[in-house]
Amino acid sequence: MKDLYLLLSPRILGLKNSLLSASYGNRKKPLIMVIAGLVFWGLMFVVSSRMLIYFQSVEVIGDILAHYLLAMVFLTFFSLLIFSNIITALSNLYLSEDLELCHSLPSSLEEVFISKAVYTLIDSSWMVIIFGMPIMMAYAYVYRPAPGFYFALFHSGLAICIISSGIGILFIMIMVSIFPAQRTRDIIMLLMIFMIVALYLMFRFLRPERLVNPDAFFSITQYVTSLQGPDHPFLPTHWVTEHLWGFLDGQEGRSEVFEVILLWSSAAAMMVINIWVAGGIYLKGYSKSQEARRRRGGKGLLNLLIKYVKKPMGPDLASIMDKDIRTFFRDNTQWSQLLLLGALVVVYIYNFSVLPLERSPIRLEFLQNVIAFLNLGLAGFVLAAVSVRFIFPAISSEGKSFWIIQASPVSMKRLLWGKFFIYAPPMLVLGGILIIVTNYLLHVTTFMMILTLATMLLTVFAIIAMGIGFGALYPDFKYENISQVATGFGGLLYMIFSAAFMAVIIILEAGPVYLLFMADVRGSTVTVFQWFQIIIAFSIAFIIICFAVYEPMKLGLEALERYE
Amino acid sequence: MIELIALTKVFKGLKAVDDINLKVRKGVVYGFLGPNGAGKTTTIKMMAGVLMPTKGEVMINGMEISKQPSEVKGCTGFIPDRPFLYEKLTGREFLRFLAGLYNLDHLSSLNARLAELLELFDLSHWADELIESYSHGMKQRLVMCGALLHDPLVLIVDEPMVGLDPRGARLVKDIFRDLAQEGKTVFISTHSLDVAQEVCQEVAIIQEGRIIATGSPKVLREKTGVDGNLENVFLKLTEGKRIAHERSLSAS
Repeated sequence: MKDLYLLLSPRILGLKNSLLSASYGNRKKPLIMVIAGLVFWGLMFVVSSRMLIYFQSVEVIGDILAHYLLAMVFLTFFSLLIFSNIITALSNLYLSEDLELCHSLPSSLEEVFISKAVYTLIDSSWMVIIFGMPIMMAYAYVYRPAPGFYFALFHSGLAICIISSGIGILFIMIMVSIFPAQRTRDIIMLLMIFMIVALYLMFRFLRPERLVNPDAFFSITQYVTSLQGPDHPFLPTHWVTEHLWGFLDGQEGRSEVFEVILLWSSAAAMMVINIWVAGGIYLKGYSKSQEARRRRGGKGLLNLLIKYVKKPMGPDLASIMDKDIRTFFRDNTQWSQLLLLGALVVVYIYNFSVLPLERSPIRLEFLQNVIAFLNLGLAGFVLAAVSVRFIFPAISSEGKSFWIIQASPVSMKRLLWGKFFIYAPPMLVLGGILIIVTNYLLHVTTFMMILTLATMLLTVFAIIAMGIGFGALYPDFKYENISQVATGFGGLLYMIFSAAFMAVIIILEAGPVYLLFMADVRGSTVTVFQWFQIIIAFSIAFIIICFAVYEPMKLGLEALERYE
Repeated sequence: MIELIALTKVFKGLKAVDDINLKVRKGVVYGFLGPNGAGKTTTIKMMAGVLMPTKGEVMINGMEISKQPSEVKGCTGFIPDRPFLYEKLTGREFLRFLAGLYNLDHLSSLNARLAELLELFDLSHWADELIESYSHGMKQRLVMCGALLHDPLVLIVDEPMVGLDPRGARLVKDIFRDLAQEGKTVFISTHSLDVAQEVCQEVAIIQEGRIIATGSPKVLREKTGVDGNLENVFLKLTEGKRIAHERSLSAS
């Protein structure tokens, strides 16, 4: 046990030291993250409470809906926890840099395994717990359960974290005993992305919005039947849901001892099984994960693509582009995200094709054009979300090899603008598709088509520049996985600034667009004063776009030139 | 060929390199020696343009690196101590990538040059494998190929022998000597005094960020009055400085 404590201590000491030694400047980042987290937390609490209060007001099915929602929340969190544990376990148990040291120590294998399993449990659970808490507190706020609810929530939450962690770790140990760890990571990432895409598409095409449309169902029975989610008495989430619901619906006399026994015996069993299995296959899997793999660089299609795409570039930028494209398509964790992007675009466009506009009391032509205009903001946000995944990490993607660029004759300015121009064509195409296809589905006027398309194409440059600029301001060259770069402080700031930027542009253009559109619909003329207003508003919007292109690039360049 | 003028680097109040002045002439292998944490890597990184000095200047081939960074880097080759590379490229693709950065990819002789370097560093068979499957020594040899690709006038090397097997180490020493004979300048930082003794015509010894001695190994032996190899000279110089430092600390 002493060794186990010692094996856990580096992380505890590291956390303590970083908290104690953080200067004021270094504390700013966590502070902003905490504030952003609290705002999100508060929003989730408010939205959940309002929804539950609404449910309570619905006769007959209100409590059924709340119960169903609780089951769904636990099932979602349970699935998230298993996914998160799978990824974290792979990294902590097989790929982490301190493993060589841990395995060379005189500690027993069991202790090394348990210490890594505890890290995995903590690393993968804390965020889900924090973000699950406001929903649980909303239930407590609305249903006012007995104090025992809070203890039940704590211990059953812990049990569910242990069970999901056990499942994730067990799955990884078996996978690594079959494939090498590096290959397992690729396979898991691919499987997960395929699953997410499939679930996302399936969920969307089931059209859950029909649930709020009573016309779609013949009776309450049919409605309630459609709510029968993927719940099963053998699922740990079912035990937690039933255990907590006993407190929430006020049936104090109901016994939940059986569910509690099931829950904790399963958690204990998972721990014992994992330790037992680890004794047999963990070390074998670890030593297998140390084997280097040989793989030849791909030829053919990739070379052809690169040859034509890099043609207009100078030799240095063409080289960087060549390297970026090859790295992107050879890293399964990167290219597979294109599948997510594809699904996002399909669902985005599909949503517009099923909008029930004809049922609205507002004039159809007006509504179509208003939605098309507001769609600018939504499309901008989608582009920013794509950009934070692909463009924001563009500078950090140089990784620990950044010294090669620093020591080469390529200036940082050229690198930054080079990356900007590399990403411009695909982003312009994506922005164009989102606007043109949705406008086509909405049957908007030619004026609205031209205006939204022009605005979109101009804002794309700002979104890219902010992505590159913020990426250079907050680079992470020491990442273990490139997808982590987007989830850091810089990525969060970038998303906030992008959303604010799109909001400002839409607010600025809303007035003039209304004047021009109404004049067009009514067949009236625009007065000189109105023209003046329109020109001023569009000019300010244009200046802001130029500023949003220039300033982040300038700040990013300064930061990169100072980078050490 | 290389001139360091009052070169200083301060990290959060700590002077890693303290007012270094150094001149390295053309056609020599110059050894930069010092104990751990003396400031060797920081100095080398400033010379390669990877770090910016807090004060002072690096001049290479008559050009100031702060004013003409692209030109200076264009005639310099840099080999760091830890070869972090783009793991998803093959060795050949990596060299082609560098050729692009140094504007060499239009050269008709590029393929021949790549083949020659890959052969020289015994990497021909691995040229089309992804770098992620290379060993540490192979990565180090690939970095050397890359640093020599554009035929630099100055080669800056941090710990050249790390990860190399005896054959690789012998090859690298021979290359350094050949380069010097061709009139190029090779600036190497190393812990290995045997390497310095074997290939360097001149050396500088750095301790606590300051240069404490410069000259050929023979001159240094005479200055310190120590017989034997460079190791004894190094130990005498650095030990004396350490004892003096400890005395001043205890007196204060």
